[in-house]
Amino acid sequence: MSGGIGINGFKFLTARRLSVIGFSFLFAFILSFPFEGQVLYSLLDLREIKPSGYILAAIIAHFTGLFTCGMFVRSKAAAKKTVLGGMGICLAAALPFFFAPSFLWMGGLIVVGYVSGCAVAAWGLFLRAFTPKNERIKTCADVLIFSNLLMIAINVVSMNRSPLLGLFLSVLCLVVGMVFIGMMPAGPKNIPDDTEVSKARAGIKYPLLMLCLFVFVITINSGLMYQVINPAFEHLTGLTSWYWAVPYIAALAIIRNLPMKAKRSQILYVGMAMIMGAFISFIVLGRSASDYLIVDTLMLAACGIFDLFWWSILGEMLDYTDNPVKPFGIGLSANVLGVLFGGALGMAVTSNNIPGAEVAVIALTVVCVTLIILPPLNRQLVLLLKNHSYLSAYDNMSQSQKTDIIFQVKTLDPLTAREQEVLQLILSGKSNRDIAGALFISESTVKTHARNIFSKYDVSSRAELISTLLKNQTGK
Amino acid sequence: MKRIRKRRNGFALLAAAGIISAVSLGAACFFEAAFAFGAIAFGSFLLALRQTLLLRDATLIRDNRIISVSPPPGSIPVKKKNNDTEETVVSTFGVLIGSKIYRWGLSGVHGVRLNCACIDKERIYLTFGDAIRTIRLEVLHGMTQNQTVLDAAQKLWYETGISAGITGW
Repeated sequence: MSGGIGINGFKFLTARRLSVIGFSFLFAFILSFPFEGQVLYSLLDLREIKPSGYILAAIIAHFTGLFTCGMFVRSKAAAKKTVLGGMGICLAAALPFFFAPSFLWMGGLIVVGYVSGCAVAAWGLFLRAFTPKNERIKTCADVLIFSNLLMIAINVVSMNRSPLLGLFLSVLCLVVGMVFIGMMPAGPKNIPDDTEVSKARAGIKYPLLMLCLFVFVITINSGLMYQVINPAFEHLTGLTSWYWAVPYIAALAIIRNLPMKAKRSQILYVGMAMIMGAFISFIVLGRSASDYLIVDTLMLAACGIFDLFWWSILGEMLDYTDNPVKPFGIGLSANVLGVLFGGALGMAVTSNNIPGAEVAVIALTVVCVTLIILPPLNRQLVLLLKNHSYLSAYDNMSQSQKTDIIFQVKTLDPLTAREQEVLQLILSGKSNRDIAGALFISESTVKTHARNIFSKYDVSSRAELISTLLKNQTGK
Repeated sequence: MKRIRKRRNGFALLAAAGIISAVSLGAACFFEAAFAFGAIAFGSFLLALRQTLLLRDATLIRDNRIISVSPPPGSIPVKKKNNDTEETVVSTFGVLIGSKIYRWGLSGVHGVRLNCACIDKERIYLTFGDAIRTIRLEVLHGMTQNQTVLDAAQKLWYETGISAGITGW
C-alpha cells in the first residue's frame, strides 16, 4: 500500500505520506491549541482568564475522545469520516476564540478536546493500513517531528507576535490537514480484510494494560516537569518559545534513523539517565539562558526518546487486534492521563510555597521512583509482544510440528501425558479457563499443571514459557 | 473434607469474634484484654488460613481422582453419618483419606513427588517424597475387576507419568 503508486497523479503522495502529512497538521493544531497549547495559554492570558479550568476541561475531553473512539469506529471509511468530521468540528468550535470570551469558549474547548481525541485514535487505523509493521516507528517519528516543527512556528508567532495570529495558524493547520486527509484512499472494506491481522487467539488485553501502565508512568514525569521546570525559566520568553521542543525533535530524528537492530531497551536507559541529569542540572545550575539550554536539552530529548519508544510499541501492537482504533486510542489516553496526573502532582508540589531547590528534589525523587518501575515493565511488555508473534507462528504450524516443539527444549523432568496436553493448549494461546473447558478439568487443576510445567522448563511465567519454547521456531 | 471445612469456618468465626472483642475492649481502654483477644484473633486467622489451604488441596485431589474407595455400607456408625465419611481418593495430586491429606505433584520438580506405585489384589502401594523424606502408603483399592485395575494404572500413568506395577492379578 505504501509503495510508489501515487494518488491523484502525484507520485510523491503515497497513502502513507498523505496520512503522515494530514495527521501532522491535525496534531500540530492539538499541540498548539487545545492540549496545553501555547496559543490557548496566550489567549487566556490576553483576556486575563485563569487557565487551569480550561486546560483541565480540554484534557479530560481529549482523554474521553481517545478512550471511546474505538467503540464506534471500526472501518477505514468510518475512520476517514471521523478524522475529517472531527477536524471540521474542531475548526467550527475554535472560531469563538477569535471573539470576546463567552460560554462558547469552554463549550468549544470541550468539543475540540473530545473530537480531536476521536480523530487521533481513528488515525491508528491508517497507521496500520498504510505503514508496514517494521516501518511504523519511522511513521510515528515523522508525525511527531513535523507536528512539533509546526507547533514551534505557531508558538513563536503566538508568544512574540499575537495570540490571535497564532490561533489563525492553528486553525489553518486544520484546513491544510483536512485537504491531505481528504485525498487519502478509504475503501468500504472492514479492517480485518485490509491487512494481515494476526490470528493469535491470546487477547491483547494484558499487553495493552501493561503498555498503558508503561505510558502512564513515563508521562507522569513529563507532566511533572512542565509544572516544576517551566515556571523557573518564564523570564526567557524569546528563547523558550522556539527552543522548547528543538531537543525533542532532534532526539526523534536521531532515533528514527538508528538501524533497525539497535536495542530499544538500551535507548530507554539513555533516556532515563538524561531525565535524571535534567533534574540534577535544574537543582545545581542557575536560571540563565545557558542553564536553560542544558536543562531543556536533557529533559526534552529524554521525552522524545520515551515518546517514540511507546508510540512504536503501540504501532506494533496494532497488528494484534481486529480494531486498531481501540488500542491506539486507549494507549494514547494513558499518555493523556499520565500528563494530567503528573501535572496535578507538579501543581501540588509547587503550590505549597516550598523553596525552589526543595521542589526540584521532591520532583527528582518522584521521577526516580517512577523510573525504577520502567525496566521491569518494559521487560514484561517486550515479552508479551514477542509472545503474540510466537503464538501466531504456532497457529500456522502443522500438528506434527506442534508436537515436536515440546520435546525440542530440554526439561528438568519429563512431562506427563496430561501436562503435554495442557502445554499444547497453552501454546495455542488458550486461557486457563479455556483449557479447563477443553479438557473437562477444573481451572485450579490447570493452574497446578501449568505450575508444574513451568517448574520442569525452569521458567517462572507463562510468557517466559512461550518465549522459551517458541523463540527458535519463528526465526526471531 | 467436611471436617476441614468445619474447622476452617470455626477458626474464621473465632478470628472475627476475636477482632470484634479486641476492638471493643480497646475502645473501652482495657488494653491488656484487647491485646490478648487480638493475639487470639491473629492466631485463629492463621489457623483459618491454613485450613483454607488444606481445603484447596483436598478439593484439587478430589477433583482429579484416579481411584476412589467409598466406605462399605453400614460401616459408618449412625451418629457419625453426618460428619466426615472416610472416603479414600487416590488422585493426580495426592491421597485423601477422610480429612487426612497426603500431597504430591503440587510444587513442581523440587517438591514432593510420586516416585512409585504398585497394585496388588487388595491394595495400592504408593511411594512419594522429596529429597529429604520418602513415605510409603498402603491404601485398600476395592477393585475387583482386572480391567478396572488396568484402567486405573493407565490413568495413573497418564496423569502422573508413573507406571504402576500390577501383581497378583
